[in-house]
Formats: sequence, C-alpha cells, structure tokens
Amino acid sequence: MRLVWKLLRRHISLPQFAGFFFANLLGLLIVLLSLQFYQDVKPVFDEEDGFIRPDYLILSKRISALNTIGLGSVGTFSEREMKELESQPFAKRVGAFTASQYKVSCSMGIDGVAQIGTEMFFESVPDAFVDVDLQKWHFSEGDDFVPIILPKTYLAIYNFGFAQSQNLPKLSEGVVGMVEMTISMRGNGLNEYIKGRVIGFSTRLNTILAPESFIRWSNARYAPDEAAEPSRIILEVSNPADDAIVEYINRKGYEMEDDKLDAGRMTFFLRLASGIVMLVGLLISLLSFYILMLSVYLLVEKNTEKMRTLLLIGYSPARVAMPYQLLTIGMNAVLLFLAAGVLWYIRTLYLQRLHAVFPQMAEGSILPALMLGVVLFMVISLANAIIIRHRINIIWKN
Amino acid sequence: MNSIHLDNTLPNVFLQRTDLQSDIWRQHVTLEKGKSYLVEASSGTGKSSLCSFIIGYRKDFDGKILFDGKDSLGFKTSDWTKLRQSHISMLFQELRLFPELTAMENVEIKNSLTHFKQKKEIEGWFEALGIAEKMQSPVRLMSFGQQQRVAMIRALVQPFDFLLADEPISHLDETNSRMMADIMMEEARRQGAGIVITSIGKHMELAYDKTLCL
Repeated sequence: MRLVWKLLRRHISLPQFAGFFFANLLGLLIVLLSLQFYQDVKPVFDEEDGFIRPDYLILSKRISALNTIGLGSVGTFSEREMKELESQPFAKRVGAFTASQYKVSCSMGIDGVAQIGTEMFFESVPDAFVDVDLQKWHFSEGDDFVPIILPKTYLAIYNFGFAQSQNLPKLSEGVVGMVEMTISMRGNGLNEYIKGRVIGFSTRLNTILAPESFIRWSNARYAPDEAAEPSRIILEVSNPADDAIVEYINRKGYEMEDDKLDAGRMTFFLRLASGIVMLVGLLISLLSFYILMLSVYLLVEKNTEKMRTLLLIGYSPARVAMPYQLLTIGMNAVLLFLAAGVLWYIRTLYLQRLHAVFPQMAEGSILPALMLGVVLFMVISLANAIIIRHRINIIWKN
Repeated sequence: MNSIHLDNTLPNVFLQRTDLQSDIWRQHVTLEKGKSYLVEASSGTGKSSLCSFIIGYRKDFDGKILFDGKDSLGFKTSDWTKLRQSHISMLFQELRLFPELTAMENVEIKNSLTHFKQKKEIEGWFEALGIAEKMQSPVRLMSFGQQQRVAMIRALVQPFDFLLADEPISHLDETNSRMMADIMMEEARRQGAGIVITSIGKHMELAYDKTLCL
C-alpha cells in the first residue's frame, strides 16, 4: 500500500486540492450553520406565550350582500364541512365557535350598584383553544357564577379610544376583573339571572367568551329548538405558512382572521431564508465536489499507465482505486471535523447574543446539524468512491 | 492451472490474411504445465498480441483461449486478477517497471501483493544478476539490460503455473542471459511451472520441450 501510494500520489495538484478543500469547507459550513441557526432560533417563535403562537386560524364564511337581506347561503359550517377540514393534512384540531341562541343582556356595577346595561351575546370554543389560565375557567349546572373572557382589543378600544375622548377613567385588566356583571338570559319562556365576571383577556379569540359547558347548558335551557351550527371555527394547524391552507380556504370561499399570521410569516421567512442559505451552501459543496472529481479525473488520467501496469501485475481494480478513495474520504472526514468545530465556535458567538435578547429561550440541539454533516460526509464519500472505482474500471476495460 | 489451450485463435487484424503459416494462429495448441516452449517469430507476426491475449489485457482475437478447458471470454475481473496473481506471471517486453521507484521497490510492490518471497531471497537474485549495488537506485537511471533483470525478478515473486517471457534477453550479454535462464528455470522447476519464451532472434539457451513458429 505504501509503495502504491508512493506511485499514485505523483501528479497530485496541491492548488487543486486546496481549492476543493476550502470551497467544500465553506459549503459544508454554510449548510450546517443554516440548519443550526434555524434550530436555535426556532424556539423563539415556538414559545407558548412569547412571540405569539402562530398556529391558530379563525375561519368564517364570507358575508355577502345577499346574506344581509336574508338570501344566499346560511353562512354556518355544517358537520360535514368541519369533518372535511379536520381531515386535511395541515389541520391538527378544529373547534367550533358556538353562539348563544337566546337573548342575553348584562348590567354592570361595582358593589351591587348598577351602572350600565347592554344587550350582548356569548360564544364558546372548546377549552383547549382558550389562551387564558384555565383554572377559573369552568362552569357546571347549578353554579351561580359564569366566567367570561373578553378580547384584549376591547379593552384597548375602550382605554385608548372611548375613555380618552370621553374623559372617562382608564381601566386596567385587574379593575375590569373586579367588575361584577349581572347577566340576564331570556328565552323559552324563562327570564333568569346569573353573575358573571371577566377572568381574563384573550389575544387569540376575538369574541365574548363563556365556557363551552355553560353555552351548552344555557342553549338547551333557553333555546331548546334552535340548532346551533357554528358560524366561525378555530383551526389549529401545524404550519400556518403552508400554501395548502390558503389554497383550501380560497377554494372553499372561507375567510380568515389575518392577525395571527404575522408570526407564522416570520417562521416561514426564517425557514425560507435558512432554506435558501442552505441551498447556496449545498451548491458550493456540489461545485467543490465537482472540482475534486475533476482533479481526481486528471490525476487518474496522468497516472493511467501506472495503474494499468498495477492491474497487469495482479492488483485488483479495488486495490488500485483504494489510495484515491482513501484520500478523498480522508479529506472529507477532516472537512467534517473542521466544519463541526467552526460551527460550534460560531454558534457560541451568536447564542450569547440571542440569550441577551431572549433570556428564557430554550436552546436548540446541535445534533441535527451534526447528523446532517455525517450524512453529507457519507453521501459525498460514497459518490467519490464509486466515481473513482468507475474510472479504474474504465482503465481495466481498455 | 495445468494447461493453456489456443483453439483456432487469431488476432482480429489478421482475419483478412490468407497466406498465414503459423504453428499457433488458427491451430489447436496446448501449452502444458511443467514444459518449456520457445515461440519464434519475426516482427509483426503477433508475438506481443499473443501474450496480451493470454494475460487478458486484450480481447481483440477470433477463436478461443481456454485455461484448463475454461473459456477466457467468460472470465470476470476477479478471475483475471486471480490468474495474474497466482497462475500466470508475465515478463513484459516493454518491462512495465515504475520509473519513479527504486529497483527494489519495483519488486516489492509485487511481493507485497503476493507475500511470496523473503527479502533475502530477492536480494540473492539481485546479487546473482550483478545488479545488487543498484537495488536502491531509481530504476529510470538504470540501463535497459539492468531493467530487464529487475523486471524478471519482479516476475518471479509470485506463485505461477506458467511464466510468459516476452523477449526477456534482448539487451543482455551471454553471461547475464545464461544467469537469467538458470534462475528462471530453477524457480519454474521449484513451482512445477511451464515456461513460454518468445523471441525474434536471440533467444535463451534452454532445453525447450517444443519450439513453435508464430
């Protein structure tokens, strides 16, 4: 082996191999770094409460002028439509908004003194979709108190629009939570009262929310004859940036509340950017692979006669191919280690900065990037080995 | 391997020729293990082609070459490798030494494949053939006659049933040629092998079992 190597290492062009080496180091590093960065930054978007959970969409049917005058489609989602939506690959869970089917009015006061009264309504969604602490979020038949969740935007509208212009005091979430409401429910020949209190504000659900158990009970009691088909549904998706969602929703003529999609778009762009960078890295790797193969071709070409003689004195093609195969595999291995080292170093640098901005951020794993590196190493080495062996086989045949 | 049989063999380039008179081409010839053959030829009669066909380097011939009755056309790469490693040793007319290696390394590169001979024995041959002091010199700096001797030592460091020597002594004087013949015969006898020597004029003085005219 030593002598064969001594023979075949002639004509190895250092500049060519150095060119391959640095080009591939760069390519591999870019590929691994893009994956690693994606891994490390993704948790920022995934955090339950941090940067908006991206994966809830609220759908309704389009309201047209025909609906206004009582014609056109009913604008509610049937059981079948819900099932169909749930069976789509992008859907994780589907929940219906159930509206109260009876008349509701509520009057508010502090310490039992009535202040304001208004007609209103309730809606409910399955508890799993509620983004407020669920500890106080329950109702069972016979309770004389019902918890309510308001959209955060209502408070904002009041505080920054209404209160400011009318010289009314601004309200904090805590103060609103102290306000006790008396809710009157009329229907089915009954007129009953129940106490209610705002227990939280939701950024996800843009409605006046009561627990699902309450709506079910009250609809059965005050409006037993009304069918309660939902007019809005909430959809949990695995990837809100999935094109299939938009395509499906447009095809079905649904409408989507758009406000939650920004974070989704951010993740999408992060993924897109990482993907593009990774692609560039792969392209550089591919080109460097090409350089290496050209160098090896040239090398084989220059050493063809020697290789032919080795074959004629009894060396097998496998043994003749081995020095160059080991050379390329060795180089690939060194590259992998170097790239992993540099990756680790760069990662510590940017992690410091990320931690400064997001101290609670969960750290991504370095394992996927390393695995990708190993997979790339194996694929490239295997390709190298096969191509080299193929060249030797050509010499054998001629 | 006990026999090499040439069954109606003819190089493709001779297919058009009608005036062919040969003991080998278009004949049924069997070369047997343990016997020695001299193939006499004038230039251009396909002497090196014959060697190339037998060693599997070229396949541009008509007819068949059979090793122990097995058609060489059906040989796989691994069969040829095995044949070259342990059944047929070839001393090439153009020597096919590696100019960048020393004389000793040229022999070792083969011996490290076969692990057939001890270094001492190889050194003994260098000694006997009068090129001991050139052992560590790059082979490209040696004369053709010296290189011929190195090539022969390389051909001997493997097990073989047949030794094919293509004009082995074209550049050797009488003494060295005698010496080379002795070493070759001794090794062939030890291995019980057959010897096939080609020549276009000057040939090794051996007690040939048969002389064939190409």
